[in-house]
Amino acid sequence: MITSQLISYFNETINDHDRFVEQWKRTSGGKVIGFLLTDVPEELIHAAGFFPYGICGSNVGQERVDAHLQNWACSLVRSSFALALQGRLDFLDGLIIPQTCDTTRMVSGIWKHARPLPLMENYLLPRQVDRPSARTYLVGELTRLKGRLENYRGTVITNDEISKSISLYNSNRKLLRRIFSLHEQNPECISNRNLYALIRAALIMPREILNDHLRQLVDALQQDCQSSSAAAQTRLIISGSVIEPLEILDYIDQAGGVVVGDDLQNGWRYIEADVRESGDPLEALADYQINRIPFAAYDTVSNPRRHFLVHLASQKQAQGVIFLHLKYCETENYDYYDNMQAFNKISIPTLRIETEFGGSSMGQLSTRVQAFMEMVGGEV
Amino acid sequence: MSKKNAFKTTGLMKELMANYYAKGVEAKKNGIPVAWVTAVFPVELLYAAGLFPYYPENFGAMAGARKVANQLSEVAETKGYFNDLCAYARCGIGDAYADEHPVGKIIKPDLLLCCNTQCGSLPKWFEAAGRFYNAPYFLLDSPQIVEQPDQLCKQYFVDQLKEMVSFIEEITGKPYDYDRLSEVLALSNEACRLWNEILDSAALKPAPFGFFDACFHMAPIVTWRGTPEAVTYYRALKDEVDERLNKGVYAIPDERYKIYFDHIPVWPKLRWFSDLFANHGALVVASQYTHSWAYSFDLNRPLESLAENYTEQFVNRSFNYRIQLKINFMEKYGVDGFVLFSNRSCKPNAFGLYDKHKVISQKTGLPGVVFDADMSDLRFFSENQVKTRLETFFEQLS
Ligand code: SF4
Ligand code: SF4
Repeated sequence: MITSQLISYFNETINDHDRFVEQWKRTSGGKVIGFLLTDVPEELIHAAGFFPYGICGSNVGQERVDAHLQNWACSLVRSSFALALQGRLDFLDGLIIPQTCDTTRMVSGIWKHARPLPLMENYLLPRQVDRPSARTYLVGELTRLKGRLENYRGTVITNDEISKSISLYNSNRKLLRRIFSLHEQNPECISNRNLYALIRAALIMPREILNDHLRQLVDALQQDCQSSSAAAQTRLIISGSVIEPLEILDYIDQAGGVVVGDDLQNGWRYIEADVRESGDPLEALADYQINRIPFAAYDTVSNPRRHFLVHLASQKQAQGVIFLHLKYCETENYDYYDNMQAFNKISIPTLRIETEFGGSSMGQLSTRVQAFMEMVGGEV
Repeated sequence: MSKKNAFKTTGLMKELMANYYAKGVEAKKNGIPVAWVTAVFPVELLYAAGLFPYYPENFGAMAGARKVANQLSEVAETKGYFNDLCAYARCGIGDAYADEHPVGKIIKPDLLLCCNTQCGSLPKWFEAAGRFYNAPYFLLDSPQIVEQPDQLCKQYFVDQLKEMVSFIEEITGKPYDYDRLSEVLALSNEACRLWNEILDSAALKPAPFGFFDACFHMAPIVTWRGTPEAVTYYRALKDEVDERLNKGVYAIPDERYKIYFDHIPVWPKLRWFSDLFANHGALVVASQYTHSWAYSFDLNRPLESLAENYTEQFVNRSFNYRIQLKINFMEKYGVDGFVLFSNRSCKPNAFGLYDKHKVISQKTGLPGVVFDADMSDLRFFSENQVKTRLETFFEQLS
């Protein structure tokens, strides 16, 4: 297939993801374990023979949620829960909720009460990762989670199975990183919008199918993207929890911007590193988690988020930073002032945009992005 | 809690709290490290090490009670902190940047020790404060207990307590004194025992002491727990409660109903609420909030016991446990109804209340109500709306 066909395939899949999953389920007879963003060890779920499906929020109405959750909860969780309440996640056999903030910590019990599934689990990842106790605990927590998955499937999960899943996920991340770097070199070849659509697709597609298509896409892109168009573009970093709405990337595309890095849960942060393929696989998963890019739910002492962001910006020669925050996301808001100051100090302009699933005004968003791009672009 | 009925001990408490702040200021002068800590934190470890623990949440509650939370919050808001955050944090951050200090200046930390048993807001606030004051930050991480307490989480917490002891040793330059810790734990046990005996008196009908009294008298169990001062204080309060019982002096003049209240009070409206309830012959008798200082330490296993007490708190428990806990309180105190406060500041306590309301009503058959407001910030308090909700609830009682 040629580039444009492949890209359309991915975009169609994310637009129609419930149909896609249902069809997969019918043909494969497999089980789907959903998870809320972020950092759930998908490799482990996959090793158990299940399809880990990332629930990324939605724009469908959130009315039914009001009876269960106050309207000052973030729209990522509210709109994800709305899908479940509307029966649009009925294909799930299980759900794993990572406890990364108070909202995820509390929604877990509410969800279980209102919409129980055969397998409902929390992923209790450590919130401090700088001291030795964190790693010991995390290996224990991964072992516990593995036990629950084994219980559900009825047999043990072997190290060999986990290692195979790790390789598969690594190969997927490698492909996505390859595409990310092609995008950096030649954004005209693969736009911001399409790049992030691929990463979003990665959260909701079985890896086997995904890798097959990504491989074809890498080949096609390598042929199409010989030249480089990056020099003419304004280099941007996005910081926040998730890309929402995807249209913001269109506005950046239209204004001649190229996103060169982020700390988003469904962006560069999701594909940036691989899991070690040697030694004990659970320990490898723990090390991977501990060394991940800091985000609002754990701003580590040894690699503070603002230092990471400043380092990323200078390494990628970014000209501007967009803070893309979801309304009512406290963890992001606590970090914002100091992160913004850190960029002020090195004279990189920043823009804060607050969005909501199903509630963003596109006109305003487009105007603000455009104005910011004019300002930043002028400084090249 | 009407004025004429005020406790004599209130004077003693005010003295004790003034003393507490004075001690903090003095500690600063004398080079004793001031450690910021969180409400549900094993403070015993610090008292034993001779550090001064300071509770910025208490500062936030004070700002709320004195009706200046909005003023301090607005300073934080000009920096880009939003009014969606916990009001305690907004007050603390606001005070750091403010020129005016309507509740006195928050005491600067030399180190920040945070335990996230309660919530995820505190670590984020303490991280921001650590950057502002340029002081080291240490997180005691307590994963939620979803079902039963397990060895994994307990061991994790014990390991971290050991890491914290090393951290304290570095700061004080002295080996940690475990004998002293035993003494402090014993003092904590005694203060908690007295406090809970006092709280229990609310089950008598009529009762000499209720939730709104508890809100007034709880500052020492939070801040002075582990010192002789707390023990002396709660002994005096206990004596006064006993004396009242003998004399037939009760918390409200005409107690007809007992009510369970969840969770924190609306600080700037404490009197308004207590009068409203009293006018309806309703005495609020229990809340998981005031009752959470009920520690009982085993001096023979200090670290394990600290881990159990501080991680197994209701604030670190899941949906079903919290429902059962509320129902247990309702049964123990023989309540006639329950009021749940959906506190905009406090997601970990507010989220889930809508469903809990339904489940508890179903299980107990008791009338209940949920109202929305903020514990400190009057911009999110609609007097009419809250009053209407509560009036309807009072009608259901009779
Ligand atoms: S971290 Fe923020 S966006 Fe993510 S679930 Fe929590 S509140 Fe929502
Ligand atoms: S009020 Fe709630 S959110 Fe605020 S510090 Fe206390 S427990 Fe945390």
